[in-house]
Amino acid sequence: MPESGRRVATQTGLIVQWSKWVNTIFFVEILKGLGLTFRHMFVRPITEEYPKKKRDLPDGYRGVIVHLRYDDGSEKCVGCALCEAACPSHCITVVSGEDPVLPQRRIARQYILDVTKCVFCGFCVQACPVDALASSKEYEMATTNKRSLIMDKEAMLTLGDKYFPQRSPRPAPYLEARLAFFQSMKARDFPMAGKETAA
Amino acid sequence: MDLAVTILVILVQIGLVMGIVLLNVAYLTYFERKILADMQDRLGPMEVGFHGLLQPIADGLKLFFKEDIVPTGANKIIFTAAPILVLIPALIGFAVVPFGRDSLTLFGIEFRPFITDLNIGVLYILAFASLGAYGILLGGWASNSKYALLGGLRSAAQVISYELPLGLALVGPILLSESLSLVKMTTAQGGGIWAWYIWVQPVAFVIYVICAIAETNRLPFDLPEAESELVAGFFTEYSGMRFSFFFLAEYANMILVSCVATVAFLGGWQPPLPFLDFIPPLLWFLIKVYAFLFFYIWLRATVPRLRFDQLMAFGWKIMLPLALANLLITSTVVYFVRHA
Repeated sequence: MPESGRRVATQTGLIVQWSKWVNTIFFVEILKGLGLTFRHMFVRPITEEYPKKKRDLPDGYRGVIVHLRYDDGSEKCVGCALCEAACPSHCITVVSGEDPVLPQRRIARQYILDVTKCVFCGFCVQACPVDALASSKEYEMATTNKRSLIMDKEAMLTLGDKYFPQRSPRPAPYLEARLAFFQSMKARDFPMAGKETAA
Repeated sequence: MDLAVTILVILVQIGLVMGIVLLNVAYLTYFERKILADMQDRLGPMEVGFHGLLQPIADGLKLFFKEDIVPTGANKIIFTAAPILVLIPALIGFAVVPFGRDSLTLFGIEFRPFITDLNIGVLYILAFASLGAYGILLGGWASNSKYALLGGLRSAAQVISYELPLGLALVGPILLSESLSLVKMTTAQGGGIWAWYIWVQPVAFVIYVICAIAETNRLPFDLPEAESELVAGFFTEYSGMRFSFFFLAEYANMILVSCVATVAFLGGWQPPLPFLDFIPPLLWFLIKVYAFLFFYIWLRATVPRLRFDQLMAFGWKIMLPLALANLLITSTVVYFVRHA
């Protein structure tokens, strides 16, 4: 038994050695490599010809932060400075104040975004209670003038107009909305609690 | 008067061949960059002209206007002479290559499809090809730089080791065609694809291809100019036009060894099948040469560089004995076939 086993082992050894020889003589490994590179001639190039053709950015892309407007053209921002509090890199400065035309209505008298510091995390967008901020798809910010990267509210609004042409409708003023709500409730016999038990 | 016309005709022919070869060299760089890019899933040159077709011209202009630097401590005369010593042997070999079959007669003057039909054509090409190694060695030495010197030394060692099997591989076709002239070698392979020497001399063909790559310092045998080890090898210190001379010489050498391979093994300008005669012989020649050049570039995209001891062992221990054995068998068989 062990003798035949040894014979089998030497036979397989011979075959392995033989195939090794054939592989070396006919450059089998190199031919395999040549085949691989030849197949790749017909693979589509992955190069992006960037300045000529631009990629489609995904919907969740977070570019430069912009301000939005309502459909009547007024700005959404109420100057609450929650974005300033949420910003991890302290790149937002809000100076809150009263609207000179409508007293008691608060607006951001000054809003400064330092894009050189911004990390594009989008926390300010999430922090905003009135959805006044949004991440645009603006990413080509290379410039020779660093000051152009410190944006005020006007610059952010124009960028917002460029990237978000569809504006949301302005909600009705608070008091009127509340009154309308009470009226509608009254029309439906509010309060109903006592009546329901009576019935 | 007659002498003047003859000399003029010869000069025009030389100029024409040189011009066409240099144009091919320029566009070979484009061809190479495009194919390499395709094989690596890139685009290659795209900016200058349609799909980068004017890139070689832009490159040439750039090299022409670059600053010409001679490093301190360099031997100025040899440093200047080296690029010329490399370029001239590379271009001079095209004198004996037959590009086509028919002579062209214009104004009663006959233009032949080769500059001259030397009866020692193969020897002439081999001799000048080895002269090119001097330019590389001298350029590396005169640069006064350790990397250039190492590149030059490697080149000398490599060229000497691979010249022998290269020449011995060409002896097979010489024996079969009974001539050293490339013109006669081509005509001896007439009558279809089965008459080409690649079928009778397959081993010699493989040896020739491998040694030709080593001769022209191309990947996987580009040790003289190994970027990752020697900066740029023997032309590290060269810039501007002098650098472009080295560059031109490398590509001209590539075309030259492809031409010789075409003539010696693939039947030169002969069509593969007799009924394909309607395609001009010049076109057949170009197709074969460019197929060979494509293989060069294809191999460059595939195989990494050898180690230096591997290169030497391969050259002396495998290529040379194989070439000698092939020569022995070929000459024996040829002798008995001819005398029986």
